[in-house]
Amino acid sequence: MNEFGAVLQARGLCKEHGQGQGLVRAVDEVDLDVPAGQMLAVTGPSGCGKSTLLHLLGGLERPSRGEVWLAGRRIDALSERALARLRRRSVGFVFQAFHLVEELSARENVELPVLLAGRSPRAAKRRAAQLLERVGLADRARHLPWELSGGQRQRVAIARAMANEPLVLLADEPTGNLDTVATLDVLRLFEELRAAGQTLVIVTHDERVAATADRVVSMRDGTFVDDTRLAGHATGGLGDLLGLED
Amino acid sequence: MGRILLVLRLVVADVRRHPAQAAMMLASITAATAALALGISLNGATDTLYRQTRAATAGPDVVALSPGADRAATAALTPLAQASEVTAHSGPYRQYYTTLTAHGRTSRAVAQGAGATPGPVDRPLVTSGTWVRPGGVVVERGFASAMGIRVGDRVTFAGRSRPVAGIAVTTAHTIYPWAQMIGPGGGPDDYSGLVWVSEADTGALAAADLPATSLLYLKLRDPSAAEEFVDSRRAFGDEQPANFFTWGFMATQDAHILRESQPVLVIGSWLLALLAVGGVATLAAGRATRQTRRVGLLKAVGATPGTIAAVLLGEYLALALLGDALGLAIARLAAPGLANPTASLLSTAAGPTGDTVAATTLLALAVAVLTTLGPTRRALRTETVSALADTARRPGHRPRLNGLSALLPTPLLLALRLIARRPGRAVLHAWSIAVMVIGATALLMARVQTDFDYGLGSSRLGNVQSEQGHDVLLAVTVALAALAAVNIVTITWTTALEARPVMAIARTLGATPGQVTAGLSAAQLLPTLPGAALGVPFGVVLVELFSPPNVVVPSMWSLFIPALAAPLATAALTAVPARLAARRSVARTLSVETG
Repeated sequence: MNEFGAVLQARGLCKEHGQGQGLVRAVDEVDLDVPAGQMLAVTGPSGCGKSTLLHLLGGLERPSRGEVWLAGRRIDALSERALARLRRRSVGFVFQAFHLVEELSARENVELPVLLAGRSPRAAKRRAAQLLERVGLADRARHLPWELSGGQRQRVAIARAMANEPLVLLADEPTGNLDTVATLDVLRLFEELRAAGQTLVIVTHDERVAATADRVVSMRDGTFVDDTRLAGHATGGLGDLLGLED
Repeated sequence: MGRILLVLRLVVADVRRHPAQAAMMLASITAATAALALGISLNGATDTLYRQTRAATAGPDVVALSPGADRAATAALTPLAQASEVTAHSGPYRQYYTTLTAHGRTSRAVAQGAGATPGPVDRPLVTSGTWVRPGGVVVERGFASAMGIRVGDRVTFAGRSRPVAGIAVTTAHTIYPWAQMIGPGGGPDDYSGLVWVSEADTGALAAADLPATSLLYLKLRDPSAAEEFVDSRRAFGDEQPANFFTWGFMATQDAHILRESQPVLVIGSWLLALLAVGGVATLAAGRATRQTRRVGLLKAVGATPGTIAAVLLGEYLALALLGDALGLAIARLAAPGLANPTASLLSTAAGPTGDTVAATTLLALAVAVLTTLGPTRRALRTETVSALADTARRPGHRPRLNGLSALLPTPLLLALRLIARRPGRAVLHAWSIAVMVIGATALLMARVQTDFDYGLGSSRLGNVQSEQGHDVLLAVTVALAALAAVNIVTITWTTALEARPVMAIARTLGATPGQVTAGLSAAQLLPTLPGAALGVPFGVVLVELFSPPNVVVPSMWSLFIPALAAPLATAALTAVPARLAARRSVARTLSVETG
């Protein structure tokens, strides 16, 4: 972390695709500081570059220019191997399409990052049981992803992302494929994580989801056009805030 | 008509979209059908060539041989010419046992006296040069080919150097290297070639006191009764020290030259076909998801199950039939040379028989149907919505294997879980390796067998029969290895393509590209091990089944060379596709999956 307490930073971040007249700047000169424990929502219309930004912040893509710092360490120039190790310990991803391994049960999916981190199968099992309990899916541990509802799948994905206690959790449209009730379940989980001090960056085009964050940045054509800090949203129930029935 | 056109258009479009896969299937089926067509063609091919040569040379129905060149020998033969069944005869001629040297090579030979004008029975066909003349000899074509003799060369036998006036073929002697038929004094024969000398020159051979045999060529009223004729003469011929060779016996003896080649080709063709099944099944399975989606699209626009089945099977069946045609064409071109390795008989290119065409077509269609029927039926049975949603075929859940893999280092964990996704593919891979190792083991065993060399003294003169067998085995093994290599690359690439999302997830969760590469390679290497281990004993057993009882088994360590080479080759073959797959952008892969 730097002197301002930012766990995640971006400076002059650019991502370009194509060249010449076909050049597209998916992310254009973005500066960002995400303090530890903050829940940041990145909003904007489809194609504005918010998913690309998330990939850059998590080291899934390399920027064309600019810098990304995670916990005081510059990560944009790291080798693929070092980036993989960094993701193992410090970054958790949640995707709109869940991206669970189809042939693995819910428990095995959650165990996977723990095993990849080199911990024992017993420790992985224990951690998976703990996390599935936490996301309310202890009774679904043996189920395969296609036997679960969308909301349950996303909760498994969140449990998997949290398996190695990452510094930041990056979520790309985590409620994009979910119905209202499932969306509420997922947001409750995020709320619990934030309350526990977890740093979260959530990309969403859903204003209602963004409204649950500490801070909302709006993107358009690869750049930030607005940066709003919200206050007091946690005073009411999530359902009240979102206008959803519990 | 419109429907047929639509099916054709869709089939052609699919082939154009996947040319490499189409080429791979075509190559597999071509190799298998060519080997099978050759194997079947060789069955009776020599007999056909013998009959053709016999007709062209007025070959005898029976050759009677009596040891010696004296009056007693002649007396033993001449009554045969008077037999009521005999319609014509030539001889008696004398064959003298000698050694012949040309181009630094020395071989046993029989020098047979011949008139300037051949008799009514056995008129050797001169294929180059002229017939015998005083001082000039004619060399039998198979012998000439083995010794490298051409018209105008000089050959030395019985202490004299003589010019070669011509080269000819005959069916009055069994083919090179069995020209002696009987040895000196009626004893066992030895590998030997045949030369004809003029009657005038036989005096020198007789003067050299060389062992000799007298021969009489007989034409019978009923050639098919040759065996009965010989049997009747044997029964009452105690006083006649004659040996008989019927035309049927000689045809069988000539076919002996292919004894080692034919089983190799037939067995090789089945192994190739099984490899082709493995390769094409992998291709079909790899395309199953896309095919299912295609079926969904076709169903959605109102295509009937019949039309859809025609589209899905049409491509494979068309490629199978094309491969069959190519295989038959290759076999037709290769068969004459293969059936007549010594060149002692006239080679004519005959088309494949109906049986051969039926067998190869059945094989090609079996490969196509066996490999595609399952995916096609599954695709047809899938509901339209499921097919479009790509949820038709999920990998199975194998908790025990997953639990076991959790104990292993990351690359092996990934490898085992990849195998667990599609265990059938691992079996196909193991099978491909086993077949390749069977071929390599057979080749290794063939190399350590002791072959009789036809050359005398220090000169080398290759054993035509063994060399032909080895060459055929080498060709089949190379084809097996090439197909197995194609299969391994196909399986690796198909696995890598299918596992892209899983590997991308693993990388998102912290697996390094190196671990993913190693995992993909290990997923191919693990099935290689049982395949290689099984291939060696199967190879040994297969060779022993088709070899004489005293077959030499190579040392254990040398037998494991192919078994050790297989994993190394697999590692080398899988490294590039695995590396390419692991280097693909995670974000891109996941975006595609989301899309």
